Amino acid sequence: MRKATDEDKLKCFQQYEAFIFDLDGTLWKGSALLPGAKEFVELLRSYNKKVFFVTNNATKSRAMNAAKLTKMGITAATNEVYTSSFAAAAYLRTISFAKKAYVVGEDGLVEELTAAGIPCVGGPEHRGVEVDWTQAEPHIEVDPEVGAVVVGLDRNINYFKLQYATQALINNDSCMFVACNTDARGHFSQAQEWAGAGTMVAAIIGSSEREPMLLGKPASFILDHLCTTHQVARDKCLVVGDRLDTDILWGIQNGAGTCLVLSGVTSEAQLLAQDNKVHPRLYMDSVADFLTVKNQLPSSCTIM
Amino acid sequence: MVSVQASRSIPKATDAQKLELLSKVKCFIFDCDGVIWLGDKVIDGVPETLDMLRSMGKKCFFVTNNSTKSRAGYMSKFRSLGLNVSAEEIYSSSYAAAAYLESINFKKKVYVIGEVGIQEELDMKGIRHLGGPGDADKRVTLKSGEFMEHDPEVGAVVVGFDRNINYYKIQYATLCIRENPGCMFIATNRDAVTHLTDAQEWAGNGSMVGAIVGSTKREPTVVGKPSGFMLENISASLGLKPDQICMVGDRLDTDIMFGKNGGLTTSLVLSGVTTEEVLNHPDNKVIPDFVLPALPDLLTVKEKAMVAA
Repeated sequence: MRKATDEDKLKCFQQYEAFIFDLDGTLWKGSALLPGAKEFVELLRSYNKKVFFVTNNATKSRAMNAAKLTKMGITAATNEVYTSSFAAAAYLRTISFAKKAYVVGEDGLVEELTAAGIPCVGGPEHRGVEVDWTQAEPHIEVDPEVGAVVVGLDRNINYFKLQYATQALINNDSCMFVACNTDARGHFSQAQEWAGAGTMVAAIIGSSEREPMLLGKPASFILDHLCTTHQVARDKCLVVGDRLDTDILWGIQNGAGTCLVLSGVTSEAQLLAQDNKVHPRLYMDSVADFLTVKNQLPSSCTIM
Repeated sequence: MVSVQASRSIPKATDAQKLELLSKVKCFIFDCDGVIWLGDKVIDGVPETLDMLRSMGKKCFFVTNNSTKSRAGYMSKFRSLGLNVSAEEIYSSSYAAAAYLESINFKKKVYVIGEVGIQEELDMKGIRHLGGPGDADKRVTLKSGEFMEHDPEVGAVVVGFDRNINYYKIQYATLCIRENPGCMFIATNRDAVTHLTDAQEWAGNGSMVGAIVGSTKREPTVVGKPSGFMLENISASLGLKPDQICMVGDRLDTDIMFGKNGGLTTSLVLSGVTTEEVLNHPDNKVIPDFVLPALPDLLTVKEKAMVAA
């Protein structure tokens, strides 16, 4: 494998109708846009390519992410954005889920579930709530209407929430266990990687001994929803992202093209390591590298 | 001979078998819940049984996977239940973590996720540590450019049951494991649930350990049950052959399996979670060497055993 050549990049322009971008480590890091991100998205739009933004980060809703992108200079409509929190809510709607959700997660997750008409227990309301160990018989009460435990990144995770989620799952086999995503780490600030949602999900697997249903990358739900809603074939989609085990695996397992950028969590060494079995169709340092072929593209007609 | 899958009936130990057990075995390792006590009550006859064993020169160890207290800390629980034990006879998973680090001549610092027990045991072995209850109130703000520093001298993260688990501790542990070359990831145990109160089951250390596995994608070295370290550490310190040590427990899939994997003699007691039905069910593949209704059942051969000793 070697870095993408100009020819590879031109082929992408020809072959793909839709470009699906990961956010953290691909288009931005923390609150700064990565170089070339704005220019490349504008270039694609000028060629009438469909552009989507798909993040596994469950903490902000689609609307919050669209607003953040627009403020940073990349115009984005809410329906071009997918978050793993939206995916969890959309999934529960498709199965006509009619109970309450116990949320181990932040505002964005509660916002998406509420928008989908699903009543929530927990989330930021349980922030700082502790088990009362001074009671005669310490215990916590679980709302009997909770029919699903929904888990995303929760930087206010604590024992009370773990216990609530565990009780909801072990006392009721029919209570669902839904994971927005299981990313081990993410670049929540530019300076370093931070423990991801994989932490909270694995913690609850550890105590409940139940396996969750995954809705975010690399599960197929988001790509299925995107292709159906926006009427684009999956083999005409190119996933651009910085993670092998979510972005690239997602594309490979679901019939889309894949391009790895080295601007995020994955290094070239990790990509080329013997024990790495996840191979993207092409790879480059960052999305800015696509811009090297800008002047070789035909002037303004759509390439098909 | 045709092998029959029909129900079997494993007999409880006869007097002759009890005498055989008492003569062959030099050291008894007891699980506590369901063997020595049930909730907060000692099982009738246990104190006399322990006295008998000790007067016969047998060594006794009381094993618990709970890491929240040190051995010395547990001693007060034993004493309050009327049990005469010394701190050295208690083998808690907090002690196991410190003993493990000592056994590999560990000289660096430890980052602790857990309660006071682990830190007290590390102090007793002269091992430097940070974290623990001191990090219970630490919070992460994640402003733009936020950067968490971590001590590069941390050479091991020890994860034990922690009712004050939080994102700060998870992130600190993750940084140590991922960025300090050779940093070890040690878990006191991985029990999914623990019985803190009778009112309900409580999320156990399986969840704290799970969290760190989730962020690092590394598996820990487990020092408590059902890993072999505890048993190896005990038999090495006594210079006994494995079958001269008897594991006494009430759970087939942990205690008895644990004993068998270590080559120990095993005794199941029916005073805890396992019933005769479960023991004899065709699906059960774990067969203990001896079965007793409860530990004090050994008292029926007290006279003969004392004479022989």
